[in-house]
Amino acid sequence: MGEKKTLIDVQHLKMYFPIRDKGLKKSYSMLKAVDDVSFNIAEGETFGLVGESGCGKTTVGRTILKLYKATAGTVYYDGKDITAMGDKEYFPYHKEMQMIFQDPMTSLDPRQTVTEIIGNPLMIHNVVANKTERDEKVQELLAMVGLKKDHANRYPHEFSGGQRQRIGIARALGLQPKFIVCDEPISALDVSIQAQVVNIMEDLQNELGLTYLFISHDLSMIRHISHRVGVMYLGHLVEVADVEELYNNMHHPYTQSLMSANPIADPIAARRSKRIILEGDVPSPLNPPSGCPFRTRCRYATEHCAEEMPQLVETELRHFVACHNML
Amino acid sequence: MGEHLLEVKNLRTNFKTSAGIVQAVRGIDLHVDAGEFMGIIGESGCGKSVSMMSIMRLLDDNAAVKAEKIEFDGKEMQELSRKEIRKILGNDIGMIFQDPMTSLNPLYTIGNQLMEPLMKHQNMSKARAKERAIEMLETVGINEPDKRLKQYPHELSGGMRQRVMIAVAMCCNPKLLIADEPTTALDVTIQAQIMELMAELKEKFDTATILITHDLGVIANSCTRVVVMYGGKIMEEASVEDLFYHPAHPYTEGLLRSVPGDGSGSKERLVPIPGTPPDLLDPPAGCPFAARCPKAMRICNQAPAQLTTVGADHRAACWLLHPQIKDMKGGE
Repeated sequence: MGEKKTLIDVQHLKMYFPIRDKGLKKSYSMLKAVDDVSFNIAEGETFGLVGESGCGKTTVGRTILKLYKATAGTVYYDGKDITAMGDKEYFPYHKEMQMIFQDPMTSLDPRQTVTEIIGNPLMIHNVVANKTERDEKVQELLAMVGLKKDHANRYPHEFSGGQRQRIGIARALGLQPKFIVCDEPISALDVSIQAQVVNIMEDLQNELGLTYLFISHDLSMIRHISHRVGVMYLGHLVEVADVEELYNNMHHPYTQSLMSANPIADPIAARRSKRIILEGDVPSPLNPPSGCPFRTRCRYATEHCAEEMPQLVETELRHFVACHNML
Repeated sequence: MGEHLLEVKNLRTNFKTSAGIVQAVRGIDLHVDAGEFMGIIGESGCGKSVSMMSIMRLLDDNAAVKAEKIEFDGKEMQELSRKEIRKILGNDIGMIFQDPMTSLNPLYTIGNQLMEPLMKHQNMSKARAKERAIEMLETVGINEPDKRLKQYPHELSGGMRQRVMIAVAMCCNPKLLIADEPTTALDVTIQAQIMELMAELKEKFDTATILITHDLGVIANSCTRVVVMYGGKIMEEASVEDLFYHPAHPYTEGLLRSVPGDGSGSKERLVPIPGTPPDLLDPPAGCPFAARCPKAMRICNQAPAQLTTVGADHRAACWLLHPQIKDMKGGE
């Protein structure tokens, strides 16, 4: 594979949230939502981020876009360090980095028409000079995501879930971004509608050369849409590889159990596959286990795992794993 | 025939709303046998949950339920009084709902909620009920059960709450377990635990199970027979193998093509079903799927197709399967 230009480079990103302790004391504990995560995304590619709820995948997306102020670490966008930038300096980059949210019901302002939802960012960023231009641009965007012209004057509640998600995509696209964080964009949609939205996103990527960070817990869809995939557990990235390499040749015990738990929509394949059922639940990120975060549920855990936190190591070309007892 | 555990004939459920009458379920036939694991699959609003709620008489007063027959364990459910129904629910029929947070009572301890049905339905003493509750919690894989009995639902994680729900549903050894999207709110690793547990319990107690879901993967992994619903009607009914490998209805075909396949990792483009499901306030006169169907003919918009037998235990409601149309298509 030829070397592609890196668009997003995340280095040792940390995002801790202070949580007030119980009782009257004014002390805080740190919830380590994202703890030392590094990866990069090549231009025009989709990086899939998977993991269970609470593993920090959404926080990674939001911190990259500076919706949260990172506790530590750096995010380079196109070679420039955006974490250190002030609001004014960062403003032009807002345009280039957009987000599509999970819940299409709560991420659109119910009191704005579709024209306002899609058009206001265009006015703010001076992409269009006046309202006539804005309306034209909105029409163009609606056509791109497969909505009709007369949808422009309606309100979000008049649309179905799939249509609302298309509005969210149109809004993100309006500013001609290069990079879009897609935070579970299809998990609230019905199966027959999911494919519609995924196809639109793939088409747009091919036409406009977009780069996606695609966050999802749907392992089949991640495999379908991603070029490279990262697996997160309890705030840590435990394995990163190109998509087929990861799905065919996984090394981390957590990746293996996560994949085996994914129900395949094929009865014969399902009967053949061996399930690795994980015991118990994910530990609280307020009180994570020492050493490897996965050791409490890992079948291969040894004493060494409790003592030392494994680092991401490149085991094969472009395949990184953080485990002491690699499979 | 006639020996089914649950048999439903021509079930219709309408809701009175301010916008008009919503025809949520429009004449469906269902049956489940003892020890069977049946799946009902469909998109939101297709009537899959409402049909189950209708059978259990759990709907609000604005719902009108009509059926030729709702026979459970030899009893006609429609003739029973509310009091008699309540004796069956929780005892002979167990239920698991999608969201374990809202279906457990936050004001009562786990122990309270587990022991109540045992004391009410099975006339157990408090001490005996407690023993049984601990036993059930152990069966569903909850550690330190005596400690959990004193805890409230909010103290447990999502997966544990769903396990408690299953324990509550199973504690009276029901003949039928109805699970309405039991794992939709859960992560895949927890989902795998719960599905495994349900399969184990089915083996152990020979419980008939109806699993309602929109997840083809979950269906493929657990069910033996599947009913596909769309627009308040049954589109297809088949064994799980027939459904996945020889679907007879264009809607089933569409559903199967819109998910990324068998896990072989092909990058083949997904084939979505265009359009959106019909509005059941004003359902189409013909086949509910006609407007989105790539194979729709003129007759599809005019009259609904009847369920036609395609093979052994395999039926589908599509005009293409009508003998005359089949002849015509074959002659072309």
